[in-house]
Amino acid sequence: MKNKQKIPGPFKSLLSGRFAVIAIPYVWLLSFFLLPFIFVLKISLAEPIMAIPPYTALLNWGDSWLPSIQASLDSYLFLFSDSLYIKAYLSSLKIAIISTILTLIIGYSIAYSVARAPSRWRGILLMLVILPFWTSFLIRVYAWIGILKTEGLLNLALMTIGLIDKPLIIMNTDLAVYIGIVYSYLPFMILPLYANLEKMDMSLLEAAADLGCRPFKTFWTVTVPLSLPGILAGCFLVFIPVMGEFVIPDLLGGSETLMIGKVLWTEFFYNRDWPVASAVAIILLALLVVPIMLYQRSQEKAIS
Amino acid sequence: MSETLTASPWLDSSEKPYIQIENVTKKFGDFTAIDNLKLDIYKNEFFSLLGPSGCGKTTLLRMLAGFEKITDGRILLDGEDISEIPPHLRPINMMFQSYALFPHMTVEKNIAFGLKQDNLPESEIKQRVEEMLELVELTDFAKRKPNQLSGGQSQRVALARSLAKRPKLLLLDEPLGALDKRLREQTQFELMDIQEKLEVTFVIVTHDQEEAMTVSSRIGVMDSGNLVQVATPTEIYEAPINKDVADFIGDVNILQGVYKGQNEVGTQLQSEDSNSIVFATQEVDASPGDKMWFAIRPEKLEISKKKPSDDHNILRGKIEDIAYGGSFSTYHVRLQNGRILKAIRANRERTEEHHLTWEDEVYLQWAPHSAVVLLS
Repeated sequence: MKNKQKIPGPFKSLLSGRFAVIAIPYVWLLSFFLLPFIFVLKISLAEPIMAIPPYTALLNWGDSWLPSIQASLDSYLFLFSDSLYIKAYLSSLKIAIISTILTLIIGYSIAYSVARAPSRWRGILLMLVILPFWTSFLIRVYAWIGILKTEGLLNLALMTIGLIDKPLIIMNTDLAVYIGIVYSYLPFMILPLYANLEKMDMSLLEAAADLGCRPFKTFWTVTVPLSLPGILAGCFLVFIPVMGEFVIPDLLGGSETLMIGKVLWTEFFYNRDWPVASAVAIILLALLVVPIMLYQRSQEKAIS
Repeated sequence: MSETLTASPWLDSSEKPYIQIENVTKKFGDFTAIDNLKLDIYKNEFFSLLGPSGCGKTTLLRMLAGFEKITDGRILLDGEDISEIPPHLRPINMMFQSYALFPHMTVEKNIAFGLKQDNLPESEIKQRVEEMLELVELTDFAKRKPNQLSGGQSQRVALARSLAKRPKLLLLDEPLGALDKRLREQTQFELMDIQEKLEVTFVIVTHDQEEAMTVSSRIGVMDSGNLVQVATPTEIYEAPINKDVADFIGDVNILQGVYKGQNEVGTQLQSEDSNSIVFATQEVDASPGDKMWFAIRPEKLEISKKKPSDDHNILRGKIEDIAYGGSFSTYHVRLQNGRILKAIRANRERTEEHHLTWEDEVYLQWAPHSAVVLLS
């Protein structure tokens, strides 16, 4: 205590343990989110040139004391001049919404049955949900090619049992993309839903039945509203990364599958237009901030 | 005891029981929770199921509600077999121990929930909800969510919700368990008033014997899946049928001994706790030499420093502990053989002339009609 009193005011708070604890997430976010974001923002305001790095500098030092700023909004304007980008954003949005809904339907039924399973089974069932994470994401998506391609496992199986005569064309279509996305993101939906459904007070369901509510109606009037925080968490955990998804549409989708993640990749690596690629990323981020903020608000509500 | 029951329908053989539990058995795997239980409950009764935890009282209540399937036997409500009817179709409502209020609905919506399931017109639902809110004095809290209510308020919302549908039978699972003592006592009287006003049959599960004594028309004392005794609170207290019931309900002193026969005073017992033979008025069907017990409630034991003039039923001992309870004091008296008996004396005078204190040599005496003779 005596030592502490000797430290002058401003340093005291710097040295206190509480400050250090609070500082960790701030330092982390500052160095791994804000700084990279500023770099990307800076590049998006530059112009492409044939050089290394392939964009103009934002600040030009020249001879004067103050640097002159060379910023241009050309990259952003370009995004709106070509309908490809708007279409890609909308297509990503559509794919993200549909696959989030599909994941929710499948994930809810899995989470619900795991949460209602006898307690000695729950651990094992949950383990099975998480188990695919042990294998690389890329390998798992590649494996789907083996299943979905024309002479793949699925077609072979269906033709062997005589359900179809000709192989189904699934590979390189939007359907393959949906299958890949729903498969890959399912655990992100199941885990928050399970956490929510598992702690639900069963006496509430009994109370509903006692008051004359049929089991199906109880599900919609009691279970679903009470699991809303889990539904929201799961949906955002799926929707946000799917919006920017690149690997799945690239490997499973066809040439007509348009997603903003793929466009970004093309701009960056094929066209070597870093400013446009950065602008695509900045706008994607701006679009995602809305659902992220909604998610945050729902979390705050859940805590209070 | 509920004052409304001037008549005792259970004594009238022409009276038809409202709820008939007929040879009901409930098994969970190998474990028998309820063992061939028979019980009749009459209309407008306030019936308590009382017993230690694990005695099967909650299981019985849940079978009445329909949450547990009956393994064997059947339950009739107003003459109709309800054993196979699912909970949502039974004209029975339950007040849950945890209250089970829907956290995402306001007080108003919670109370209206059951009424909505019956597809009643909006105006009637509104009117009934208002009635219920008035009944439990929560009109000002209609728009609150359950997490904004105190324990006592939540308890009243749960009660209002379970009464809103005007059930034929209301089940209450430890309804006052979560309330503090003062609120619990107050709520007991409110419950009795409401029961009287609405003329609903109540079946309440409790482990609190005082609560059961206060509210009930009759009490069913349960132990290991069966009813040990079904009687009015007074009978249960004053005439328990065995040591377990005597011990479970209130405090009791039990003297163990051997039956010596009857004389003009009554049943004679050679007790291990007394040098001379002790007496009880109650006559029993036993033969000399049988093991027997006298149960004497602490308030029926006279305690004094002076030797009583009458020399029947006297025990001597030393005061070892005193629990001062304000209106009365409980004295723990150690007998010469080392056993401890409890005696209660009302503190009638502020400064006691014949003040009793620790280590005082005292005489304990009871009137022969105050002891209950028990054969098991």
